[in-house]
Amino acid sequence: MKNKDISQMVLDRIKDTGIKPISKKIFNLKRVVVFSFIGFSIIVGAISFSVILSILTNNEWDLYNRFGVGFIFKTLPYFWFVCVLLLAILGDIYYRKTSRGHRPNTIIIVSAYIIATTVLGSMLHLIGLGDVVEESISQNIPVYHIFVFDKDEFWSNSKEGLISGRIILIKEKMLSIVDFNNNLWTINTENADILGNAKIQEGEIIKIIGDAGENNTFTAEEIRPWGQSKIHKNNFSEVVR
Amino acid sequence: MINHEECPNKTDNELVKLSLDNPDHFLCLTRRYESKLLHYIMRLSKFRSEEASDILQDVFVKTYYNLNEFDDSLKFSSWIYRITHNQTISEIRKKSVRPSVPFEKEDIDRFEDALDISKEIDDSFDKEKINKALSLLDEKYREVLVLRFLDEKDYVEISDILKKPISTVGNLILRGKKLFKKEYEKLTYEK
Repeated sequence: MKNKDISQMVLDRIKDTGIKPISKKIFNLKRVVVFSFIGFSIIVGAISFSVILSILTNNEWDLYNRFGVGFIFKTLPYFWFVCVLLLAILGDIYYRKTSRGHRPNTIIIVSAYIIATTVLGSMLHLIGLGDVVEESISQNIPVYHIFVFDKDEFWSNSKEGLISGRIILIKEKMLSIVDFNNNLWTINTENADILGNAKIQEGEIIKIIGDAGENNTFTAEEIRPWGQSKIHKNNFSEVVR
Repeated sequence: MINHEECPNKTDNELVKLSLDNPDHFLCLTRRYESKLLHYIMRLSKFRSEEASDILQDVFVKTYYNLNEFDDSLKFSSWIYRITHNQTISEIRKKSVRPSVPFEKEDIDRFEDALDISKEIDDSFDKEKINKALSLLDEKYREVLVLRFLDEKDYVEISDILKKPISTVGNLILRGKKLFKKEYEKLTYEK
């Protein structure tokens, strides 16, 4: 078969069967979907990274001396690391669907993704978005606490000398606080160090390290602020009132 | 009808745009590529000329049908080679044929120079050996060697045709060359 016949046969076939090229709109729509997924993976990845920074910067690294290496591993934001990793994989999958997406290898794409999310995530962290997202998810999605270090639970362990709650009364060196389980505690702060920006005033949420006594009494060694968050998932209002 | 004498003066991208308005212009594109692609199909497969022609027709129809998908910031040749590659591989798998590569004198010389292998006095023996050594290689090595040394595509074009990362293409060529030389030397020794 001569070559010129193939071309002519193809043209005849196209004309006879009335084949028309698929509309450009369809391909443009596909491109929009692909780039939307890439954009989504970068933006959500950056938000996740800002939450990682928020958790790490709010972490009390000095407590590792007291509670050991196990505490370090307990408090790392694995859930958010997994989120960033899954979003990086999603980004890689969709980037490969672009016209030049097959050219770089996975290491380059994932590295570029991590750089983009790190830069953008750091900026979002600086404007405080990481804290807002973490607080918002913590308050509105109950199952979230299964996947992350439960700070409330950790700081509600009087046997280990750890309690936390909202100050409802201050009387000389004695404080009355209500914990997250709505128990009332009387705290002796006479020999306590007040760390960070902890404010000893009614309505503030604080964390206390010390020794539990009988009848819900507690001798404080250290008083720390609850964290950057001014909101807490527990409702103290009834006791406070 | 269009004046086909103007075809050689037009670029691929211009012809794609013109073809979208008038399918007659598509004839310019198909004529430009049919010989190269026909050889490529035959190098990738064991199909005879008639079967390769049928595949090529399907390739051209598919190309026309998807013409709006072509990204004009890339090479049209890579795009149409990619469609041809996919169609041929699909046909090879359907028919379960073992690929064999038809060679011409220039192909043998190019291959021997590029892979730095010893030449035989008798070209037909070289042709047979190259053919056999290539057919013994895994598909992933054979396809990059064919594209690199017979169709003379660069790494980026091969990457675009096979949709594989450029670094992977480089590694496959390197490894493919070694494996090919090994098979080739084995055949020489057996002689």
